[in-house]
Amino acid sequence: MKRKLPLSDIIFGIVSFSASFLVLTLIFSTILILYNESSLAIHRFGILNFIFTENWDPVNEIFGAAAPLYGTFITTVLSLLFAIPVALGIAIFLTEVSPHFLKSPIGVAIEMLAAIPSIIYGMWGLFTLAPIMAEYVEPALQKTLGQIPLIGKLFEGEPQGIDLFTASVVLSIMIVPFIASIARDSLNLTPNIMKESAYALGATKWDVIKDIMIPYAKLGIYGGIVLALGRALGETMAVAFVLGNNHQITLSLFEAAATITVTLANEFTEADTDIYLSSLFYLALILFVLSFVILAIAKFFLLKAERGYSR
Amino acid sequence: MIINEAYVRKRKIKGFIALTLSALAAFLGLFWLGFILFDVLRHGIQGLSLELFTEDPAPPGIPGGGLKNAFIGQLEIVFFATIIGVPIGILAGTFIAEYARGTKFAKTVSILSDIMVSVPSIVVGTFIYAILVKPIGNINIGGIIAIGFLSAIIAIIFGGIINFIVNKVLKLNTKLLNLTLSLITVLFGLFVFLTLLTKLVDKIQGFNGWAGATALAFIMIPVVLRTTEDMLSLVPWTLREAAFALGASYFKVIKDIVYRAAATGILTGVILSISRVSGETAPLLFTSFNNSYFTLNMNEPVASLTVTIFNYAMGPYEDWHIKAWAASFVIMVFILFITIIARAIIHWKYKNN
Repeated sequence: MKRKLPLSDIIFGIVSFSASFLVLTLIFSTILILYNESSLAIHRFGILNFIFTENWDPVNEIFGAAAPLYGTFITTVLSLLFAIPVALGIAIFLTEVSPHFLKSPIGVAIEMLAAIPSIIYGMWGLFTLAPIMAEYVEPALQKTLGQIPLIGKLFEGEPQGIDLFTASVVLSIMIVPFIASIARDSLNLTPNIMKESAYALGATKWDVIKDIMIPYAKLGIYGGIVLALGRALGETMAVAFVLGNNHQITLSLFEAAATITVTLANEFTEADTDIYLSSLFYLALILFVLSFVILAIAKFFLLKAERGYSR
Repeated sequence: MIINEAYVRKRKIKGFIALTLSALAAFLGLFWLGFILFDVLRHGIQGLSLELFTEDPAPPGIPGGGLKNAFIGQLEIVFFATIIGVPIGILAGTFIAEYARGTKFAKTVSILSDIMVSVPSIVVGTFIYAILVKPIGNINIGGIIAIGFLSAIIAIIFGGIINFIVNKVLKLNTKLLNLTLSLITVLFGLFVFLTLLTKLVDKIQGFNGWAGATALAFIMIPVVLRTTEDMLSLVPWTLREAAFALGASYFKVIKDIVYRAAATGILTGVILSISRVSGETAPLLFTSFNNSYFTLNMNEPVASLTVTIFNYAMGPYEDWHIKAWAASFVIMVFILFITIIARAIIHWKYKNN
C-alpha cells in the first residue's frame, strides 16, 4: 500500500533539505567566488610564478606569495613542534598519571584554553609575551643555540619580540588543547583487557603507554595533529599582533615576517588597485584550498580511527 | 628464572622520567591558562568603568570616553548572525539526521560541515566581502535573509499565541478555523517581512553590518548543524517508532518528540556557537569593518568589540591600550561564563539520566 505523504512533511522536508543543500553550496560557492575574484591575478602572474616570487610590491603592481607562504609554513611547523610533545604529555597525564579527582578540573582547564578567543592570545602575545621574549628568552637562545655554527643562523639579529619565534609560541599554546583533547579521547579508548595483559607480562606503566596505548590510538592522534595543523595554518589574530607584516624571506627566526592570514588582515582594506585586491583574493584562495585539503586528510584519519575502534 | 636487575631498574627509571615529563606538560598547560587569565584580569580591571559601557569613544589621543558603539554593535551583529545561523543549522542538521538518515548525501554534508568548522575564518571574511561588500549598488542578500528569518520567527511566535488563544482559551477547534489561522499567520509574516525590509535593508554602499552578521552566520551554521545532528541521533529510535505507531506524521514526530528530547543538547550547541562567534575578529575585518560612532543602522559599517580591540591595541595611544584590555576582559569573562554554563547544562542533563 502506498501511503500519501502529509503536506506538513512535504513542506518541512523541502525547507530542511534546502537548508542542508545550502551548506553544500556554501563550500563550493566559496571556491568559485574566490577563484572568480582572483582570476585577474591568476592570469597575470600564473600559479608557479606567483608561488615562487618573493616580491610584494603594490607600487609597481608585482605580487608574489613566496614570503607569506614561507611565513605560514615556518610558523605552522614550529608551533606543531612545540605543541605536539606538550599536548601528548597532557593527554598521557590525563589518561594514566593523574589522580582521579584531578582529571576533570585539569581537563576543563585545558578546554578553557581552547575557548579563549584568538584576539586575546594576540593581545597577550603583543603586550606580555613579546617583551619577555625580547628581553630574556631570545638573548638566552642566542647565547646558547646561537653559538652553534649552522643552527646559529636561525637565531641571528636583534631580538625584538615581534618575530616568527614569538608568533609560533603563541600559536602553539593555541593548538595544544585541540591535539590534547583528541589524543586523550583516543587513548581512553584502549581496551582495558589489552592494558591488563601487558601489565601481567611485567610491563611498567610507561611500557604500557608507549607500546600498547599509543600504537592503539595512533590514528586518532594523527588526526588530531593534522587537524591542529589546519587550524594553525588559518589562524589570523593570534599571529597578526606579533608577526609584524614583513614581506621578506629571512632565515632568522628573530625577524618580522608575514603569513597569508596576516597579509590579508593588514592589507585587504587598503588594497587600492584591482590587481592588488585580486592578488589578495588569490592568497585567500590558496589558503582555502590548502586548509581544505589538510582538514580533509585529518577527517580521513579520524574517520578511519573511529571505524577501527568500533570494531 | 633469571631476572636482570639492572634492566628492570633501567625500565623503571625511564618510566618515572617519562611520566614526570607528562605531569610537567600538564602543569605547563595550566600555567599558560593561569598566566593569560591573570594578565587579562590585571590589565582589564584598570580600564573597567561605567563610562566604558555608556559613552562613545573620545577623539583619538584624548583620554576618556567609552566603547558603547562597539558593545552595541557587537550585540547587533551577533544577534543577526544567530537569527540567520541557528535556523539554517538546525534545519540542515534535522534533515541529515532524520529524513536523510544514513544516506550518502547526509554523510557528505556531515563531513563537509566538519571541515567547514575549521576553515580559516579570514577566508570567510574575504568570501563575504566579495558577495556583500564589493558589489556596490546591488541588493543586500545578507540583510534580506536576516530579515526573512527574523519575520519568520516573529510570525511563528504570533501564530503560536493566536492558536493558543483560539484553541485553549476560546475552546474553538475546527478544521476550517485552523486553516484560517495558518493563513493569517503567513500573511502576518509577509507583512512583517515587507515592513522591516523597506525600513532596515538598503542597497550595498560598502562595508555594512549585514555582511558582518552573514560572515559570523557562515561560521555558526556548521557548528549548529553538527551538534543538532549528534543530539538527534542520540534520541532512541524506539521513541520515534512509538509515535509512528500512533499514526503521527514524521513532521509531527520531529516537532513534538525528537526536538523535545534533544532540546537541551541543541540549546547547548547554540549557546556554544554564540560564544564561539563572539570572539571572532578576522571575518569582521572586511565585512562590518569599524565605526567610531554609535549606529543602529546595519547598512553602515558597524563597530564590533573584537575589531575595536585589534585597532586599539595596534594604535599608538596608551589610553587605547587600556581600553583594548578592558574590552578583552569583558569578552573573555562573557565567553568563559557561557562555556561554563553550557558545560554545566550538559553535566546536569546527562548525569541525571
